[in-house]
Amino acid sequence: MIGIYDFCGHYEWTFQWLQERGGHGLVRRYWHEAIHEDAQIHANELIIGKGFAGMEEYWDHTLGEEGGVWDVTAREDAFRIDMHHCPSKGFLIHNGLQQYPDYCDHCLGWIGPLMKKAGFVVNHEHNHCGQCWWEMKRVDDLSPASVPGELSGEADVRLHPDWQTADTHLDSYERATDPDDKLPPAAGSGH
Amino acid sequence: MPETASPPSPLPYTDTKPVGAADFYTAVNATFRFIEKEFGNEGLKRYWTELGRGYYAPVTQRWREGGLPAVAAHWKAFFAAEPEAEVVVTEHANEVVLEVWRCPAIRYLREHGREILPCFCQHCSFVSSAMGEGAGVETRIRGGNGSCEQRFAKTGHFDQPQRLEDIATAS
Repeated sequence: MIGIYDFCGHYEWTFQWLQERGGHGLVRRYWHEAIHEDAQIHANELIIGKGFAGMEEYWDHTLGEEGGVWDVTAREDAFRIDMHHCPSKGFLIHNGLQQYPDYCDHCLGWIGPLMKKAGFVVNHEHNHCGQCWWEMKRVDDLSPASVPGELSGEADVRLHPDWQTADTHLDSYERATDPDDKLPPAAGSGH
Repeated sequence: MPETASPPSPLPYTDTKPVGAADFYTAVNATFRFIEKEFGNEGLKRYWTELGRGYYAPVTQRWREGGLPAVAAHWKAFFAAEPEAEVVVTEHANEVVLEVWRCPAIRYLREHGREILPCFCQHCSFVSSAMGEGAGVETRIRGGNGSCEQRFAKTGHFDQPQRLEDIATAS
């Protein structure tokens, strides 16, 4: 049986299996059709139906089940997650698993299209070490992402000394809804 | 008092939480559906087989080195980490038998109203066969759609090949 105790391992393996057979386009369609439109229909219902409140409900449940260490900052104009230890990427690091070049892209691969449907945009960075932050805002809110500490205070993952070292590289997104909206390296926040 | 080191896990991959997150069963089911749509039923079988040979290669190595006791230890630890599984693993002289009274995947998908891919239960046969082929271990499965019997033995033990008709359609 394919179990879910090690789900993130065979999920990541599957990205590469698809990439080798249909390229990046097939991997994107997998995230969109299989994950966003099929597996995560419960997330769609909550977030399209309830907006920020639905985000809080969804991630409170799912991150609670998956484990990890994170903080949520819920405001009327923004929903923010500071992920200090991602249970998903953490599983891969812990077990030395890497087939696909950037596992972390899968999150925006399904969350991006969902946010677009729900009327939100995403500001996001991940450091490929199991740490990331997300700031969802309404699409008509043109304000920039917060600076470190502004929205989540001491919980802001960008304040960790290991957030960005000489060996880490950040992937950054600004008002994004697509996994390929990644900013060029020099345009990242570099916080 | 000195800390006692935990015994090594029979599973090749380990996590910090004792039981996996059940929501992921929806992604497993959706992944099968997507691959069948893209590559057809034969493509889905290839995916299962390559997953068994590739991603689960460390399982094959353990079964090759440890024989049927390693097979039994694997499945006991495996189902202990699957949420709400009810499975009895028994090691006989020449076989390891899994009595799956409640399949955790089918249970979860049903309880959450998900459309289950009809050939979902076949994945157990293809993945386990692929994991076992490099270890001299074969499998036979009967039943499915929530409960089944899975038998594992050294290659050549079983008189009859696996018949896919013996594996139930999932719903």
